[in-house]
Amino acid sequence: MTIPGAPSTPTARPDVVLRRVGSEWVLYDAARERAHVLNLTAAVIWTYCDGTFQPAGIADAIAREVPGLDVASIRHDIHDVLRRFADEGLFQ
Amino acid sequence: MAPLVLEFASDDGVAARALEALYHAAPATDDPPTLRYTLRRTGTGPAAGYEAGSPAQPLFGPASLTDAWAFLEWRATEDVLNAATADLLFVHAGAAVLGNRMVLLIGDPGAGKSTLVTHLMMRGHDVLGDDVVRFATRDGRYSAVGRSFKLDDKALRGMPLVAALCAAGTLGTLLAAGCYYVSPAAIRRTWHGSAARPWAVVLLDAGARIGASGVQRSSEGEAAVVASRKLLGGAALPAPVRAGATVRLLESLEDAVAYRAVGADPARVAEALEREAMR
Repeated sequence: MTIPGAPSTPTARPDVVLRRVGSEWVLYDAARERAHVLNLTAAVIWTYCDGTFQPAGIADAIAREVPGLDVASIRHDIHDVLRRFADEGLFQ
Repeated sequence: MAPLVLEFASDDGVAARALEALYHAAPATDDPPTLRYTLRRTGTGPAAGYEAGSPAQPLFGPASLTDAWAFLEWRATEDVLNAATADLLFVHAGAAVLGNRMVLLIGDPGAGKSTLVTHLMMRGHDVLGDDVVRFATRDGRYSAVGRSFKLDDKALRGMPLVAALCAAGTLGTLLAAGCYYVSPAAIRRTWHGSAARPWAVVLLDAGARIGASGVQRSSEGEAAVVASRKLLGGAALPAPVRAGATVRLLESLEDAVAYRAVGADPARVAEALEREAMR
């Protein structure tokens, strides 16, 4: 799975922090002074953006962590979410 | 950081009363002042007016009493905000404590923060402020700022008791251009609650005024993002410090729920919010 604009092994910028707020999550990009609201799926995907996983690997890891999830659906979500992260410049 | 002690003084009886209107809600102290402000009467006859003096600023005036006083209030607020540190900043928000649950009221100017805060206060709840609250980054707690509330005629229509206090010129109220300044101490002798972390963030939107009045559950993440844009006093701080404060603010809302106020009747919104908090 390749995602236009996203690195092959997505790596989160170290100055972007993830914080839980209520039942949602917020990514705060200090350099751009921007904040992004994430749902749980996107927040989980973000935690795998440490430079060691390719997008397909993220899907497999999440599928292992949460048995019963539809892998095809996860891959679709990962594609969308990583592209959004890349568009927002959140990767190194 | 040593606490700021603001002193307001005037040799004019009318101006002294105005200053008391502004600051008799603030805690008294015997500590020496660190910032001094003055309102001085100047000139005679038609040329009479007031000059406002504030630290390290040129004199403002001559101007009418309300203009000079409004300048002083603005100047003093700016001075306090500029004294913010990494540990202690301010948030552009109203806040009240309902039972033991603190609500942070977020909205642009004119969205109705002061009106809702005053309704909550009249329902017996403590408040922390109508427009500015203190934010301690170390423990994520918010605390009171002793400033007057600004209430216009539209806001006062729904609160006859406060309107009567204003109309009578009760100590702690002052008529200025387009609004009354009302000290919380003019409404209730004890008025502010203890420092707390928010139980809820309430978004006020001047556009959300159609339909039944009340509160609706809302996205906590979006509310937190809106709240994080309301940090004040950090403009002079280094960017990393300001960024750190923003993260602390988000963390302070970790367990907060979010509501959006809807409808045109702030009394109903206050009632609905109270019901939610008392659940």
